[in-house]
Amino acid sequence: MNLKGVKPVARVLAREVAVTAFLLLGVSAVVFGILYLAPGDPFSLLLEGQTSAGAPGQGVREALGVPKAWHVQYLSWLAGMFRGNFGASIRTGLPVLEEISRVGLNTLLLTLGSMAVTLLVAVPIALYAAVRGVNRVSFPLTMAAYVVSSLPVFWFGYVVIYLFLHTFGLFPVASGGSQGTNRLYLLLPIVVLGLGNGTLSEVIRHLREEMGRVLSEDYVRTARAKGASVWKHAFKEGFLIPVTEIVASKIPFILGGAVIVEQVFNWPGMGRMAWQAAQDRDFPVIMGIAVLAAVFVRAGSLLQRFVYIAVNPGASRETVERRAA
Amino acid sequence: MKRVSVVILFVFGMTVAVSAWAADSRKDGRPNGGTVNYGEYGRPATLDPVTSNEMVSLRITELVFNGLVGINEKQEIVPELAERWDVSKDRRTYVFFLRKDVTWHVRPGEVPKPFTADDVVFTYNVMMNPRTITPLKVRYEFIESVEKADDHTVRFTIKRPILNALAKFTFKIIPKHGPANPEYLTREDPFVRRPIGTGPYKLASVSGEGEITLAANDAYFKGRPHLDTIVAKPFADQNIMTQALMFNAIDMIALVNPRYLPEIQGDKRFVLQPYNALSYSFFGYNLRNPFLSDRRVRKAFTYALNRQEMLDSFFNGQGTIISGPFAPGSWAYNLDVTPLPFDPQAAAALLKEAGFSPGPDGILQKAGKKLSLTLKVPIEKESEAVKRVVLAFRNYLKNVGVDIKVEFEEWQAWKGDVFFEHDFDIIFATWVFDDSADISSLFLTAEIGPWKNNFGGYSNPEVDSLLMEGKLTLDHEKRRTLNRKLHAVLAEESPYTFLWTLTNYTAYHRKIRHVAIHPYKFFSYADDWFIEP
Amino acid sequence: MRKRYIQAPGRSDEASGLRFLRKADAVDLFFVGYGLLIVVLVAASYAAGVFRLLPYDPEAVNLGLMLAPPGTAGHLLGTDFMGRDLLSRLILGIQAYFLPGLLAVAVAIVPGAALGVLAGYGAGRADRVITWFSNLVDSFPRLVLILLVVAAFKPDIYFIMVVVGLTNVPATVSLVKVKIRFLREKNFIEAAEGLGLPRRTIVLKHILWHHCRASLIIRATLGMGEAILMETSLSYLGFGVQEPTPSWGNMVQSGANYFLQGNFWPSTVPALAILLSILGFHLLGDGLNNLLERKAVH
Repeated sequence: MNLKGVKPVARVLAREVAVTAFLLLGVSAVVFGILYLAPGDPFSLLLEGQTSAGAPGQGVREALGVPKAWHVQYLSWLAGMFRGNFGASIRTGLPVLEEISRVGLNTLLLTLGSMAVTLLVAVPIALYAAVRGVNRVSFPLTMAAYVVSSLPVFWFGYVVIYLFLHTFGLFPVASGGSQGTNRLYLLLPIVVLGLGNGTLSEVIRHLREEMGRVLSEDYVRTARAKGASVWKHAFKEGFLIPVTEIVASKIPFILGGAVIVEQVFNWPGMGRMAWQAAQDRDFPVIMGIAVLAAVFVRAGSLLQRFVYIAVNPGASRETVERRAA
Repeated sequence: MKRVSVVILFVFGMTVAVSAWAADSRKDGRPNGGTVNYGEYGRPATLDPVTSNEMVSLRITELVFNGLVGINEKQEIVPELAERWDVSKDRRTYVFFLRKDVTWHVRPGEVPKPFTADDVVFTYNVMMNPRTITPLKVRYEFIESVEKADDHTVRFTIKRPILNALAKFTFKIIPKHGPANPEYLTREDPFVRRPIGTGPYKLASVSGEGEITLAANDAYFKGRPHLDTIVAKPFADQNIMTQALMFNAIDMIALVNPRYLPEIQGDKRFVLQPYNALSYSFFGYNLRNPFLSDRRVRKAFTYALNRQEMLDSFFNGQGTIISGPFAPGSWAYNLDVTPLPFDPQAAAALLKEAGFSPGPDGILQKAGKKLSLTLKVPIEKESEAVKRVVLAFRNYLKNVGVDIKVEFEEWQAWKGDVFFEHDFDIIFATWVFDDSADISSLFLTAEIGPWKNNFGGYSNPEVDSLLMEGKLTLDHEKRRTLNRKLHAVLAEESPYTFLWTLTNYTAYHRKIRHVAIHPYKFFSYADDWFIEP
Repeated sequence: MRKRYIQAPGRSDEASGLRFLRKADAVDLFFVGYGLLIVVLVAASYAAGVFRLLPYDPEAVNLGLMLAPPGTAGHLLGTDFMGRDLLSRLILGIQAYFLPGLLAVAVAIVPGAALGVLAGYGAGRADRVITWFSNLVDSFPRLVLILLVVAAFKPDIYFIMVVVGLTNVPATVSLVKVKIRFLREKNFIEAAEGLGLPRRTIVLKHILWHHCRASLIIRATLGMGEAILMETSLSYLGFGVQEPTPSWGNMVQSGANYFLQGNFWPSTVPALAILLSILGFHLLGDGLNNLLERKAVH
């Protein structure tokens, strides 16, 4: 890494963080706005929940005078969130943040695992197609990936479960436990989310385009002509950037897919909790999950930009924006 | 020297071995040890006996808590926390003499606390406190007051003598030092998730995924139960739960879905045991709707349904069609009243008699108004069977010209619509009874009102008088006669279309022995179960 | 990401030779053909559903013939868990997503194009604000946002599809915006303005119609594919169309209850329908896009 460019880099990084923070503020405004427009009075429930969740062990719900003005409501909710108080679930009465973090880890595992699976399959295919182009091998592979990733996840999951149970005769307890078969069963939703859900085809396409483009760049052809390692030169722009780029941009889709996959496999994660909350109209929980999901998405995006800047310390603001838009 | 130490070692070893091997504080010759994993469908919200209102929680509290008295397999009242009792001549005062050797489950770092009359009084006060959220208040309103006579004696005074009052004192006792709030119990109190009781099993842990591990209570006053641990494993999918049983990941399922009966029946590893559930399913009508207030219409609907076909197709025929408001396993059921047969012509005739004629689109109408009704159904966790019954109902009624609109609603919203707003025409539901013969809350005119059980608004003076007489009489035979009459009247009146009682089956691995199941509470006799070594 | 090619049309895919180009053309034509076939099938089935030209009554319950595999007793695709004909329900199920899908696409394209014009044409500030809003919308996983909306409003499918459309606005915005930037670079806009053409004509006729329409159509097909996936996913989760009205999503969901015991067809038939339809729309979009680029390259 280039130490000379640190100061301007720091400035760009700080700017990125500021933009992210501002975006997250916008996220909270959107979530608040939706609930504000909702019929009924979800806010008294939410704010009451925040007060009683903040005073655990008393089992008493004070009848608070809920402030009427919307900006006061918004600010008090926001303030509560910053203190880690997301209110209490209407259904179970437990603090929302605690509930979500309990299951959030499972969803994190699912998301990261599925990303790894997608990359494991997509990268070789994309590389091959980028280097060799369309031929008898790469075309069917790409088409197959396309079809597999278009399979509706909520059906694909059952097929996989069936195969797993009956073909391999392995059976896990679906709700936790640490036996060997259980570990294997954990792989199923990860594989299903990684292969289905439409991510695979998008990733292959993006990677192939980018890699192909970089491979045809002048500096790469020069390197090839010189006999130097193409890989070393092309790595940063042709591999690292496209991969982080596409992964970061796919996070929202993966989280959405996680909601469905968690239903199919009864995976105790944030997605299933969100579904339950939508059924029960459990506002505090679904709001908390929406906010946390957005945080996760933005964190991924921020990370990707950090990588980009780290790789191109001289990146101007314009380039960063252009790649992101 | 050496020989002596060897002998001592040998004796010591033998003693340890014998005591471990034959450790049998219940003195019934059966071995201790083993774990039973059982599959539960869904996770309980709370684990205490006061706030819980789900079957899942009920099964757990049965293992963790005791009542003043219990009911044995022969349906007789037996002492539990109370070793004996006195009933006054006017049947209005009950004095319970409590056991002196009972201690509460111990929390880590604490000393065992004895069970005293204070706990009984505490339990009653908490149960009846208006701020406690519990379905139990109605059941115990007959109690006027309770007082502690001394540390091991409690006196209950009831408002009026009632039949079989003793059986009502099976409610579970919670410790005074248990809940954080000394006056009332809500879901925020940590006690509801980490309860302590006096029962054969104590709560050892709850895993992140909701697996509840119960460990044997060595100090249980009836003797330590044989099984070391009982683990409740929650499944959100009945398919997978059944597969788990087949693959030995769990040892027992409390309630087997009828669809899987053939599969399990064929498997020699498992025992399929039926137990009587005091429950039945029905379609309930809102008599406030002018169409439904006509008895002929309701009866016509019953004729239009082919209940046997539904029972056979959806439940493998595992159940009994009922003709009246009692479960067939109940002593009150009147076997002389036969269920109406499937007769769409009779249905059509009755509807015609009630003044309906087919409209241009085939749907019956009267005075220009279509016979179009809304059926509201709660979205249950396993709603497959419910969905099928409901859709079949719609189809059968369509065949006689009645249009049914099906609405699935979330549980709380459904309860509000049915019991509070009374905004529905028909519902599909299942009543579960603990005292099978007391249906007064369902059909009394006095029980019409917000959040009361007579949601349909059924009012009939004859039924009212029969019900009141039954409540007041202390003669069991008289009561039986009254109930049989009630059965006949209500069958004719059809405020519900009574459907069936499904045969409940539990499935468990053969290695678990001496399994007796309580029809409602399931684990009441679990302290006697043991595992074949 | 596709914009990259529009931005720099000079860069062709040098990694392969002429043979690749010709073969790719055939493949893309195949994609487009398949896609069009699907579109026609879906539209025709929708019409059939509307006029109830169905082989069986989709609500006719037959308890004697539940979960029958395809080909039994005149049921071409078999029956579901109530003995109802799957083919009829499949055709009728298109109603659940057809019009709502069109609505989602319209909501994605019309405001999206408008905002894109604003961002591309207007001052840098408008661009920045619109970009910020785009990023904001993109921060939410679509399904989570919809669950939030469902929890708040308990809405019908049209409302939900409007939300889905709104979440697709950023994509349209960036498409139009980048196109405008490209045209600006090529001095096209300057020239048009210099010729004295009114701004409205420039925007509507020249930018949107001549230059963007192909991309917008492609966006529309992809958007429709996405709308189908969204509606079926929601119905699967239990939030969309309810029984007894069929939707491909709720058909898969009810069929799934019987899957693990070996009754595959009740859930597989609608799942395959979903697969083939979504694939059709996506391939149509991709094929058209590739053909477009070939044209641009040449």
